Amino acid sequence: MSTEVVERPPQAPPGPPDAAPPATGRMRPAVIADSAGGMWGWLLQRVTAVVLIVGLLTHIVATHIFNIGHLSYLNIGDRLGSTFFVVIDVSLLAAAIFHGLNGARMVVLDYWLKGRAGRRALSITLWVFGSAVFGYGLWALWPWISH
Amino acid sequence: MSPVDAGAATNVGAGNWKGLGMWAWLLFRVAGIVLVVYLFAHIGVISTARLGGRSTLNSAFDLFDHPLFVLLDLLLVWAVLFHALNGVRILLMDCGLGIHRHKLVFGACMAVAVISLGFFAFKAFAYIAAHHAGGLGGLI
Repeated sequence: MSTEVVERPPQAPPGPPDAAPPATGRMRPAVIADSAGGMWGWLLQRVTAVVLIVGLLTHIVATHIFNIGHLSYLNIGDRLGSTFFVVIDVSLLAAAIFHGLNGARMVVLDYWLKGRAGRRALSITLWVFGSAVFGYGLWALWPWISH
Repeated sequence: MSPVDAGAATNVGAGNWKGLGMWAWLLFRVAGIVLVVYLFAHIGVISTARLGGRSTLNSAFDLFDHPLFVLLDLLLVWAVLFHALNGVRILLMDCGLGIHRHKLVFGACMAVAVISLGFFAFKAFAYIAAHHAGGLGGLI
């Protein structure tokens, strides 16, 4: 079996974001370059995915299994009194906002905004919006964190 | 067509699997959109503690204690688990792990998702049964 990879025709539409790499067992840079979102979006989406898997597991189990039926303002304060949960929740806030907005961006880019200027405008808008939401989330958590 | 031929990146193991992979991709995307919407709703609800004081947040939690909201939580857990475990599969494929056994990897990921969902469902229904007179009958 030849391991040579035949180039895609340039006008070919980008594959779905979860398109599997070829069966060589090694990453093909072209797969990343072909995806509409760019290399950094691709990489950060995967880094935040790992943060979310570890963080959300901790967050959901601590909040909804160990504290099932006990959720209240003070119950949240019990957890956010420890540095561990502050680190978990604040990194979750940042990772979830990035991962969610970048995912939404990938959906948009699959159907619209084929031009460079439009894509750039979308990225800048989402960075401004995401930063504002992160600031707002931090502001909302602050009474618990600073207590 | 050989597996490393043109377009192989989007066409690994075409056939029945192609249909299943399509559904996995679609559900992954739908669950992702649901989770983004929930994320902003979640931030909004938690922020009521600072906007309206702790009693505002506590009355929101009282509302979420209703069996209907516990069931909605379960739907949310389903979205999280499917999105997360299908995401694990994508990460493994990106790292070149298990490409030759990708159906098995998908099956294993979904098995973990189903077992975890079963655990959360057990917790949710046990909670409703223990804390709400009439259990799910309270919904009607």
